Amino acid sequence: MPWFLHLALRQLFPPGKRFPAFATVSILGVGLGVASLLIVQTVMNGFGEEHRLRIRESFGDCQVTGAAPIERAEALAKQLAASPEVASASLYAEGPALARNGDFSGIAQVRGIDPSDPTQPARKYVYGGSFDELDDGRIILGAGLARALRVRIGDRIEIWSPAMAERAEKGKAPLPAEFEVCAVIVTGFTEVDNAAALIPLRRFREIWNLGPRAHGLTLRLKQPALAEAAAGRLAVGHPELRFRPWQDIKRDFLAAIRFEKTMLFFLMFIITLVASFSIGSTLFSAVIRRSREVGVLASLGAARWQVVALFGLQGLLIGALGTLLGFVLTWTILAFRDGILGTINRLFGGGDMVANIYQFSKVPLHYDATDFVIAAAFTLLTTAIAGLVPALWAAGRKPSEAMRDA
Amino acid sequence: MPDVVLQARGLAKAFASPAGPLPVLTDVSLEIFAGESVSIRGSSGSGKTTLLQQLGGLDQPDSGEVRILAPGAGLVAPRSSLGHGVGFVFQNYQLMPELNALENVALAARIAGVPSVSATAAARSLLTQVGLGARLEHLPSKLSGGECQRVAIARALVNRPSVILADEPTGNLDERTGAEIMDLLLGVVAERGAALILVTHSREFAERANRRFVLSGGVLTPA
Repeated sequence: MPWFLHLALRQLFPPGKRFPAFATVSILGVGLGVASLLIVQTVMNGFGEEHRLRIRESFGDCQVTGAAPIERAEALAKQLAASPEVASASLYAEGPALARNGDFSGIAQVRGIDPSDPTQPARKYVYGGSFDELDDGRIILGAGLARALRVRIGDRIEIWSPAMAERAEKGKAPLPAEFEVCAVIVTGFTEVDNAAALIPLRRFREIWNLGPRAHGLTLRLKQPALAEAAAGRLAVGHPELRFRPWQDIKRDFLAAIRFEKTMLFFLMFIITLVASFSIGSTLFSAVIRRSREVGVLASLGAARWQVVALFGLQGLLIGALGTLLGFVLTWTILAFRDGILGTINRLFGGGDMVANIYQFSKVPLHYDATDFVIAAAFTLLTTAIAGLVPALWAAGRKPSEAMRDA
Repeated sequence: MPDVVLQARGLAKAFASPAGPLPVLTDVSLEIFAGESVSIRGSSGSGKTTLLQQLGGLDQPDSGEVRILAPGAGLVAPRSSLGHGVGFVFQNYQLMPELNALENVALAARIAGVPSVSATAAARSLLTQVGLGARLEHLPSKLSGGECQRVAIARALVNRPSVILADEPTGNLDERTGAEIMDLLLGVVAERGAALILVTHSREFAERANRRFVLSGGVLTPA
């Protein structure tokens, strides 16, 4: 081990001291800065991932629509499902309708789906009742819509479609379609939960006079992350259709999440920067306190670069140990995040925001190695600079002055 | 005739003051030979420490030049002989507080490029020679003033320099311990064939050197 590294370690961790004040406080400062940075990033990643997953599950990896209802929809679904990039293709039809339960009514966005499709995303968001009971006489409602209509599982509602108005215009008696509520879903997307009404596609076609046509297809892709490229390839040969990858469906929302993450990274980075500057100032006072030692080292023949290394390494060591501590703190705090959040809610009230607003059962997380690498690199760089400035100052002094001033 | 180990010619140094440059050294010339001891006395503020710093390369003179015999390199500028051509002993010992006695001495050897194992062996041998064989692992805070100065002497000698520059080495010690340290310093330096330049207030200690000088008004004159 070079002598300056040995001496740097001894000066940071003097023998006989269990908690060397300077090193402990500095490492803790950097550790807390790194932990705040990474906790915010990891939770933001978690929210982003959770939202992306819900977008994909609610809208599919790729949505196929046309300017008019799609003719020969079954054949198209079979053709697309045969593509090597597609895991499954499911037809759907959708349209607005008036939902009514006695004196209570609401606008429902009715979606006709294939209840036998095991990949139907609604299966994951059933809050009450059973998805498997969905048949021609039953309906699944979003929680908000169910609340607006004051219905529970087993209650009956009426659906009035625009096609019924056409019947009335032709002088025929418009009879509403009746359904029994078999399940309630909660997706976390207010616009979906306040309007969604799911019925079998066969029944939708009947009520909307759609015949064999469909409004669109929901594609599940084998590599959802590459949906944008896959959509472009699948669109070849189908100029009349629009292939929308999931990234495009909620582009603004996803961009907002990314922007929030960037802003929070910037704010948290400032915290780390402040911690590094405090190390710089503490190290500066330590170097001034050790002026005589700098002079003595020069009298022993130490080169300037070795004096720079001695104090610069102390900054770097604080940065490295602080970063490591930050990683451990991040993991520990996030492992107990729900307990911590529960305690905060109990102490300050306000209820469970995560469950009430975001509809997540727990604070979402997503560890991204890139965030850790960036945090470590920034921290090591800033602490190295914080150590280097006083080190250069010390090494630049005349030994005689250093020994006289101390 | 013994070899010249230190040669100073026409050294001059002045410090800036509000009233203009304040001369501290004026045309100081000195030649020191291998194995001899030289004392320099002077009142406080007479420039003794400044002279020692010019001789040892810790500061640059305004004019004049210093040459020191560095092993295998001949007479060289003092800055490039630090650590191996010249060794310092300071009044306040100036030991590294976080290193024990053995490490403090070995540090000087490590800085001079000696491998760790050899540096530790040399340090152990020297500390035993100065009577600290049983205190190797002690930190400076656990040593007495006299013991600290013994460590400092061992540190100054570990690289076998041709000249030892001692700045008031007994200034912080009581009379008896001071005398012991002087005995040790003169003995060990002579034994190793090095020259000693001793800056001191004490007429008694100064008298024990082979040659004696007085620094007054920036001029060095034989006592």
